[in-house]
Amino acid sequence: MSFTIRYDDNNQELVMAGAMSPRAADELGELRTMFEKATTQVSGTLYLNVKRLVRLNNIAFHELARFVAKACHDKPDLKISVVTSSVVGWSARKFAKLAHISPNISVEQYDKDFYPGQGVLEDGGFIPILRTQTKLTWRHEREILPRHGMRPGLAVADICCGIGDFAALLAKEFTPSRLVAIDHAKPSLAYARKVAADFGIKGIEYVYGDASSLLVDDNQFDFVTCRHSLQVFDKPELILKELFRICKPGGRVYITNEKNSHCLGEPRGESIQWTYNEVAKVWAHFKMDIELGPKSRRYMADTGFDDIRMESFMVTNLDGDPQDFADVIQAWENVYAGQMAVERGDSPEFIARFRQGFQDHIFAALHPKGYAGWPIWVASGRKPA
Amino acid sequence: MTVTTGNTPFAPLLEIALGTDTFAANWDHCDRIATYVARMVSHNRTDSLLYANLFSSALNELLETAFRAHNGGGEISCTVSRSGPVDRIELTIPCNDKITSFYANAINDLSAADVADRYVAALLAEGELDPRIGLLELAVDYKAKLALTPMGQDKLRLVADLTLEDTY
Ligand SMILES: C[S@@+](CC[C@H](N)C(=O)[O-])C[C@H]1O[C@@H](n2cnc3c(N)ncnc32)[C@H](O)[C@@H]1O
Repeated sequence: MSFTIRYDDNNQELVMAGAMSPRAADELGELRTMFEKATTQVSGTLYLNVKRLVRLNNIAFHELARFVAKACHDKPDLKISVVTSSVVGWSARKFAKLAHISPNISVEQYDKDFYPGQGVLEDGGFIPILRTQTKLTWRHEREILPRHGMRPGLAVADICCGIGDFAALLAKEFTPSRLVAIDHAKPSLAYARKVAADFGIKGIEYVYGDASSLLVDDNQFDFVTCRHSLQVFDKPELILKELFRICKPGGRVYITNEKNSHCLGEPRGESIQWTYNEVAKVWAHFKMDIELGPKSRRYMADTGFDDIRMESFMVTNLDGDPQDFADVIQAWENVYAGQMAVERGDSPEFIARFRQGFQDHIFAALHPKGYAGWPIWVASGRKPA
Repeated sequence: MTVTTGNTPFAPLLEIALGTDTFAANWDHCDRIATYVARMVSHNRTDSLLYANLFSSALNELLETAFRAHNGGGEISCTVSRSGPVDRIELTIPCNDKITSFYANAINDLSAADVADRYVAALLAEGELDPRIGLLELAVDYKAKLALTPMGQDKLRLVADLTLEDTY
């Protein structure tokens, strides 16, 4: 049996992970000892973290239920909170049974409501933004990627793949030996699979998962990408740690992020500038850092990468059809002003001015003598061999 | 060979034979076989990882049930076949009267109106775990359709139809 149990006193958290399928209940002595130790030590709530428990047979569940019942009996004011993950399909349903033991037991899915922008990002409204964005960034990144170690034949993972268009482009351009694309938005994954099928692209594994707790073994991939996504988490270092973990020693992790306050355009530069400064604040309100781009180097170094390479590029209205650029800005306006500012409770006056900056950016993009830009920072690092 | 029920054909995906003695000696086999089979049959499901995890958990319970109810000797064969969203697991198990009546009674009980309550009660019951627990779990949590086919005197076949993509 490959499973681990550990008790973290600081968080009052008992973490069970791996596959637990004993033949007989008496093989669970370690769990019992830990459980008893934990229940005597905690005050208030004991968290039972089963996010990465991928298998628990009925023998083990039955025994665990016994420990839980005994704890509730011995310590009537003890509360137990079981933390499951929607990524393990059986987990929430199975653990819900424990709630029958006592009203002091609650069972929750931690990833139902677990990062600030989840509502906005997972309801499907982001799909049009992502699609046009990737169209614009790809013409730069296809040339940038090889400088960061991308080449044909690698095992590649794209974490937070969104609608999977980047993965599809990678598959065509670099023919990886394996390509896994993971996201936590089901509508985006459904879209990704449909696009791949429509274009006859085979072999990309689109997988539902959580970037901060991937059900992927250590040291699996030569090249791990994560684009425009560290900036949507309140704790990007946790994601980076996971990217590091699944990367093979000697392999590389590649991330891209923005610094939206540096978006620019002429004419109407001032209004544009004002709006993008406000974009940064709206994102910060939702605990996301759309200014993360230039901080990537520090994040990579702190995670333990070496040979860190960094560069930036600017998507502009002169990259192909200016209407594409304008479409991206329009999509931003719809989500940032139409949803996020509204949710923050901003006044109609503020929202009108906020929207104006986006319209001015579009104006600059489509103006025959205008120039409009969106800067992006690329960073990659090697996992020490 | 193509197995049919009604007019939907089940296309065979794989078949393996499992020596009961090996399993008695090495319990980990259930988990390992379940994981292996699940990986084989899941790659062309929409979300292969999610599917494989569910499938292997279900299959593991079936295998554990079979090896627990069994009392040594012979081979258990496991086949998986597919008809659209439905994956069919068939276990062919050597049996005697005791084993046959264990399965017959267990499967019969699954059609009780309060089967979901019985399952929870069994999971939380004190003392020894009810050996039917795996079958209860499949019927209740996995919404599996379970059936039994006698195959002469000393063999029976347990059939479980699983529609995991729709259920979850
Ligand atoms: C701004 S989008 C970027 C998507 C894609 N990489 C691209 O560049 O088009 C951020 C993505 O991160 C995904 N995401 C957010 N939290 C996640 C998590 N915990 N695990 C996996 N994906 C997550 C969202 O669903 C969304 O698709």
